[in-house]
Amino acid sequence: MHEPRGLSRIELLQGTLDLIILQTLRWGPRHGYGIAQMIRASSQDVLQVDTGSLYPALHRLERQGWIAAEWGTSENKQRVRVYTLTAKGRKQLERERSQWEQLSRAIGAILAPSPDALT
Amino acid sequence: MKARDNEIQEEIAVHLALAIADKMARGASREEAERAARAEFGNVTHVAEVTREAQRGPGLWLERLGQDVRYGWRALRRTPAFTAVAVATLALAIGANSAVFTVVNSVLMQPLPFRDPDALYAVSYLPTNLPFELPPGLDDRLYLEYRQHATRFERITGYQRQELTLSGVGDATRIPGALASSTFFETLGVQPALGRAFTAEEDQAGNDRVVILSDRLWRTRFNSDPRILGTTIVLDGISRTVIGVMPRGFTYPASSQVWTPLALKLDGGNSFLFPVAGRLRAGATPEQARSELAAIARALRPDSRADGARSNAAIIPLKDTVTSHVRTSLLVLAGAVAFVLLIACANVANLLLIRAATRRQEMAVRVALGASRARIARQLLTESVLIALIGGGAGILVAFAGVRALVAMAPAGRLPRIDEVHLNGWVLLFTLTVSLVTGILFGLVPARSGARSAPQEALGQGTRTLGGSHHRLRAAFVTGEIALALILLTGAGLMIKSFLRMRSLDTGYDAPRVVTMSVNLPRIAYPDAARMQSFHTALLERLSRIPGANAVGSVSFRPMSDVGIMGDFVVRGPTPLPHGYTVDKPTVSPGYFAALGIRILAGRDFTTADRAGAPGVVVVSQTVAKRLWPNESAVGNRISMQDHPGPNDWLTVIGVVNDVVQDAQLTRHSTIYLPYLQNTAPFFMNQMTFVVRPAPGAANLAAAMRTALRDVDPAVPAEALQTMDQSLMDTIAEPVFQMRLLATFAFLALLLAVLGTYGVLAYDVTARTREIGLRMALGATPGNVLRMVLGRTAALALLGAAIGVAGSLTLTSVLTKSLFEVKPTDPVTLAAVTIVLMLAALVAGYLPAQRAAGVRALTTLLMHD
Repeated sequence: MHEPRGLSRIELLQGTLDLIILQTLRWGPRHGYGIAQMIRASSQDVLQVDTGSLYPALHRLERQGWIAAEWGTSENKQRVRVYTLTAKGRKQLERERSQWEQLSRAIGAILAPSPDALT
Repeated sequence: MKARDNEIQEEIAVHLALAIADKMARGASREEAERAARAEFGNVTHVAEVTREAQRGPGLWLERLGQDVRYGWRALRRTPAFTAVAVATLALAIGANSAVFTVVNSVLMQPLPFRDPDALYAVSYLPTNLPFELPPGLDDRLYLEYRQHATRFERITGYQRQELTLSGVGDATRIPGALASSTFFETLGVQPALGRAFTAEEDQAGNDRVVILSDRLWRTRFNSDPRILGTTIVLDGISRTVIGVMPRGFTYPASSQVWTPLALKLDGGNSFLFPVAGRLRAGATPEQARSELAAIARALRPDSRADGARSNAAIIPLKDTVTSHVRTSLLVLAGAVAFVLLIACANVANLLLIRAATRRQEMAVRVALGASRARIARQLLTESVLIALIGGGAGILVAFAGVRALVAMAPAGRLPRIDEVHLNGWVLLFTLTVSLVTGILFGLVPARSGARSAPQEALGQGTRTLGGSHHRLRAAFVTGEIALALILLTGAGLMIKSFLRMRSLDTGYDAPRVVTMSVNLPRIAYPDAARMQSFHTALLERLSRIPGANAVGSVSFRPMSDVGIMGDFVVRGPTPLPHGYTVDKPTVSPGYFAALGIRILAGRDFTTADRAGAPGVVVVSQTVAKRLWPNESAVGNRISMQDHPGPNDWLTVIGVVNDVVQDAQLTRHSTIYLPYLQNTAPFFMNQMTFVVRPAPGAANLAAAMRTALRDVDPAVPAEALQTMDQSLMDTIAEPVFQMRLLATFAFLALLLAVLGTYGVLAYDVTARTREIGLRMALGATPGNVLRMVLGRTAALALLGAAIGVAGSLTLTSVLTKSLFEVKPTDPVTLAAVTIVLMLAALVAGYLPAQRAAGVRALTTLLMHD
């Protein structure tokens, strides 16, 4: 088993986890464990979310009204807390997405500069 | 709350269960699965806790504040150079403000150290048509009358400052003291710490040989001797019994060290004027007391109106009489030092703006990652307040040193309540408040604009537009700084010019190195004119034998002191004396004019032949001669000092001398000199000042003069033993103090403004490197670029100077009272400081300009994208 490369919990990256959670919930309601699994799977095992970051993030997003939570039943009949993206959360996701794209473009530019900048 | 906790616990349990089930489904044993799931999950308690916290929200503002402070602290530590410059600037500015506030607070704001001091008022009834200003007070008759009949005051007391010679314990010295009515201590509400206050019997002449000591005198001169009560000490040659010692810190009025009874003896021909204080009854108003005073005064002197002499009744808060004369100059200093703080704020705000520009990417990333703008603004504000608080903390240390320097610099005896000046809780509160306010003040603009930084702009466009939007803001700050600095420089410039005027004042003497020595003869040892005259003759003779003494003389009151005798006289002839015409009437020895370099313009000096029994003679000053005998020679004319002169009372004018500056206001008075040897009245004769002119090249004669005095009478102390130049410096000590402080603050302001200008221009040049490179690629020469940057500097400085000149013209009138022969709107000073400031600004702009001119076109064009 490889060492978990969990997202670090520094404050600066909190927003990134929020973005990822919102994105994950776009595909439908999910419980906490399911979200963690999905992030892991869709990042090809690169991102493993630390539960110490995930659950606080979920509850914070719930408080902010971007996601909603209710108790439901899982496929194997277990009582689970299921999270759903709200309309407000959907808008927030759009906003964060575009900011993220700018950020990643900018960082990309820094890491892979155009040839003339090297002189 | 509990239910929520259980929910989180349950959620975690479900998570673990799901994970275990998952792993078992992939073939792990239950044990393995459980262990792996737990390892992956981490600390259950911790997760539950942080989740609960997240659920609760950001929590108390205090918690958030803690986060902001921690973050701010980290951010400041990442940029130590910026932090150090900002903190040092603020420490200096806040410290200077706290130091000045300490003095203002102690002197002007703190209540006098008496019981219920707000009920204490000075009582004054003075003629309004005096040629000079008198401190508030009553004459002896009115005082006795008013004390008896006034109903609005609980208690009334009279007192008078005096100087006394303390002899018998160590070297004879002059000490400041006061004559005080028996009600004095009761009225002020302060009782002796040891012994008792004066009794009513001790107000009577003959019973008044008692004295009360200050705590300091008791400690320093009498070793805190607890058995001092009942012993006698010698003051002005009179033995007095010590009956009390005042508590520490009580030195009213004006640093008194001893108090003796004010035993009033009414004199038919003269009245005695002294300050009077009263404690107002509960419920009575100062206005009621004032009309009562006016009524009592009118009843006492029903004829005063007919006389044409109007008097003014006044009831003035006692504190105002102590501090009013320094109020304006202290407030001017407080204003000046506040300007320095404003400039420092502008500087730090500019630093923050520049820093914000370099941190735009950081901010943009944080916004992109979900930090709210309010949060970022709050964090930036926290940072600036943090800087200000650290600066304020360091400022307290600066204030400690500053207060010491201020007290040491303050002219001796001119700044009231100086013993009470110290840092206290008010100063700490002031410093804290000032720090918080400045932190918010200089942090607000950068915080607002920092939070506004849109990620698109900052991230998308790289560094090309860095600081563009703050460009105008920074220019505004620099302009403001220059304007404020110019106002301070103008103030300082005016004071300096006024100082130079005073220094180069033609006093009428030619005597910078002439040494004066004042001598006060105690009445007991020298009870009559004959004995005083023989002492004076002996001392004059002894002084003339000092090697290196070229000329000696004596005068009855010291030049440029605030003591003098003024009066009118009678002129023989058809032209009567102009109404209200008064002259100074010093008594001088032969040789006095020569010793002080006063020129004899006509006639002759007094000689030893002008003695008692010989025909009476006088010497008049130039303005007297011109005023009284405009069309003829003054010499040979006759005047008299008697109101109704008899045949032998006429004095012949034998000489005319040039006018001299006689008093501390440095004004030239009309003067009639009387010959010492013809003066037989002991009135004021006990005071005499001796002057000795050294031969060219001779050393300072002060020590030799002291020895001469000791040879004649060792029990008499030498006073004001100093050169005439030092006397002049003493006289102008107050404006010099103000000048030095203003100059210090103005220099600080100039320095900060120059640094601020430099910082902004240097940053501008860096931010515009590409533009400059482009210009050069398109054919601009380094000279063009140099001129461009210097031109921008000049534009900023000119705008600032213009605002500053306008500000100066409205503000410098507060200096009017401190200025000597200089108008507050003096155009030469304004022009000079404007030039100085412009030059300083250009120097500040030159370095960045030079760097801009050195930019190589190609490099910069390729530097970025």
